[in-house]
Amino acid sequence: MEEDEESVDDEFEDFEDEEDEEEDIREVVVPGEVLTEDVKNFLPGRGTILNKEKNKIISLNIGLKQIKKNYINVIPLRGFYTPRPGDKVIALVVDKNPVKYKCDINAKDFGQLKPKNTIKTGRTRGFRGGGPPRDNISTEKFDIGDILVVKILSADRLNKPELTTVGKYLGKKTGGIIITIDPPKIPRVIGRNGSMIKMLKNLTKCNIFVTQNGRIWLKGENIAHERLLIESINKIALEAHTVGLTDRMQEYIINEKKKRGIE
Amino acid sequence: MMDIKRIVSKIERDYIISNLKKEERIDNRGLWEYREFQIKSDTIASAEGSADVSLGDTRIITGLKYDVGAPFPDLPDEGVCTVMAELLPLASPLFERGPPDEQSIELARVVDRGIRHADCVQTKKLCIKEKEAVYILFVDMYVINYAGNLIDAGGVSALSTLISAHIPEGIWNEEKHETEWTGKYLTGKTLVNELPFVITYGKIEDIVFLDPNLPEEMVCDGKISISVTEDKITSIQKSGAATFTIDEIKTLGSKSLEIGKKLRKELNLLQYLSKIE
Amino acid sequence: MPLIIKDEYPETLFRKDGKRLDGRDVNELRPIKMEVGVIKNADGSAYLEWGNNKIFATVYGPREVHPHHLAKPDRGILRVFYRMATYSVFDRKRPAPGRREKEISMIVADCIEPLLFLELYPGTSFEVFIEVMDADGGTRCAGTTVAALALADAGIPMKSLVSSIAVGKIDGKKVVDLSGIEDKAGNADLPIAITWYNEEISLLQFDGDMNLDEMNEFLDLAKNALKDIHKIQLDTLKSKYVKLQEETNKSMGKNEKKGDE
Repeated sequence: MEEDEESVDDEFEDFEDEEDEEEDIREVVVPGEVLTEDVKNFLPGRGTILNKEKNKIISLNIGLKQIKKNYINVIPLRGFYTPRPGDKVIALVVDKNPVKYKCDINAKDFGQLKPKNTIKTGRTRGFRGGGPPRDNISTEKFDIGDILVVKILSADRLNKPELTTVGKYLGKKTGGIIITIDPPKIPRVIGRNGSMIKMLKNLTKCNIFVTQNGRIWLKGENIAHERLLIESINKIALEAHTVGLTDRMQEYIINEKKKRGIE
Repeated sequence: MMDIKRIVSKIERDYIISNLKKEERIDNRGLWEYREFQIKSDTIASAEGSADVSLGDTRIITGLKYDVGAPFPDLPDEGVCTVMAELLPLASPLFERGPPDEQSIELARVVDRGIRHADCVQTKKLCIKEKEAVYILFVDMYVINYAGNLIDAGGVSALSTLISAHIPEGIWNEEKHETEWTGKYLTGKTLVNELPFVITYGKIEDIVFLDPNLPEEMVCDGKISISVTEDKITSIQKSGAATFTIDEIKTLGSKSLEIGKKLRKELNLLQYLSKIE
Repeated sequence: MPLIIKDEYPETLFRKDGKRLDGRDVNELRPIKMEVGVIKNADGSAYLEWGNNKIFATVYGPREVHPHHLAKPDRGILRVFYRMATYSVFDRKRPAPGRREKEISMIVADCIEPLLFLELYPGTSFEVFIEVMDADGGTRCAGTTVAALALADAGIPMKSLVSSIAVGKIDGKKVVDLSGIEDKAGNADLPIAITWYNEEISLLQFDGDMNLDEMNEFLDLAKNALKDIHKIQLDTLKSKYVKLQEETNKSMGKNEKKGDE
């Protein structure tokens, strides 16, 4: 499980768009702010709403205003994680009973991990072949307190998210440490085409695993490197809305390494 | 969603323990080092003394109010100083609303005992008229942000509050049989006699360390708080399931006096005395 | 508890020079300072100083509902808890929440709820904690104002902010933003809040006496003052980010001049 940790970011295609206009300064807007009154030519996109009575498109969040084609979007600067099918997240097992694990995924609901979703089942070859008998499956594999990388199988407004540990890069994690940042800042830690995370990994010589629910697993040669990485990630989260961040962070880390006397 | 959970992950526990064994902590402190104290005094206009104290990210805002009433029958010439604490639900997703729970009661009582047994407050100076009228002081601590070690932050906050006090000065009018106000004030200079500090250590497996931060506190097997004046130990409280050897306690006793001296000097709390006349 | 300034209110609430006791004109606001993100453990938080008022607001949510029977299957619930510290008032207040605090909690919740999209978060709860550390008149208004900031800071989608203030009548004259003493000794007190989504009134109370003309004037006075409050809220939310943008742009500009392009 400890292979090429940052590869998870090839799944992050959705976020690439947002890095396109990295060079422009984007305007900071707040809830209720009027983004445009030109409702003929613009449509309300993410993080916005049409105030029909007043013929305005307004922002619902604190965020950065973005215009893509004729959609006005607000990319939130603060927010909480909403599980979507396909997301890879870091989960903490907080409870278990014989039929399922209850997992904290840093969302409004706890996720459910059923035993059948923790083992790879082979193709059934009929009555005598195939994987382990279904009714022998129980919740012995993981314990309360385990950290698991899971994928969201299903999540909607009314039902608790279903999770799985079957898949590439999924399963229990050992060693290292987990930190949590504001979920909207995660794309910035990855950077355009993974540029930020690759730089972090190289300069701090740490393994880093970034997931959608704001949780990041990291492991370095020693605590000094890990400390620098954690401080760097927090700095990225703070300055996520500024331009030229990757270059600045690179400079920052190089300087700090000198100051702290680490290689 | 702030990611503070009641269940601590094994990864976190292992990380903290393996680093403590190497005398390393994530916030770059040594095993016997405090986080930074930040103190602002007399910030609450409605109170007769107050202190806003942060220890790292743990923040407690304490205020002082007074009342005048009859003394306890067995202490007819002494006033009363009571300490209360509330862990506000706004301070942490772990705190629930409602009447004070074990944690807030422990905070109040440990801080109170540290002050009381050091004879910190001159309760005889709180007497207006023996058997008739004494001051009753209320030192109320409100936890605004919880990041580990409420007790030491609370102790400094309560002490700074008492030092910053400016309570209207009353004298007894024998004819009218009531208290009258001179227009002057009793301040910390009169009221505060000693500067006790309460010093808390965490224990994980067999490692003991000063001033647990939040993850350390959630992972630790137990804690011990020792209150000290310049040269005496005035109160001790052990909490949690961990056990301590006799040698450990002896070491902590002497370390506490040493740490207390250092803290007393560095914080220089007497600078917060009220300047009112 | 015996009062040093005996429990008699001052003869007049205006000074000889025509100003109010704290030096303000009739339409002048007290100094206001706001800040967001002050309590790191909270999902969203804000702090406000308004005259001598000092108030924290934090938001937790969306999260599980405790106790569970209060959860609604088709929408989230909003609960507001307005509390005052024992030392926030002249006469020490008992620690447990009283009826006044419960009433104010309800009014503030009614005011905030229409701004949220609770139907998007079934079975969950949003909790807003308003803690008054120091009180000096208009705490329910200041509390509503700072709660709106905390909700925005939590990243919870909102149709707009809400701003609140108390206007009233002291010694027969109409004034804006009553201080503690003006509230106690004055003739009329009208706390009011406006949500900016539809620019309508979402919180309204009144104590005192007024005729119809006076009420109309009060409402107009309030609306203007509220626009000023709203501006301070907007600046507070933005300035944290805008300042960083400006700083980093400056430092980048310097670097470009240094290097070659």
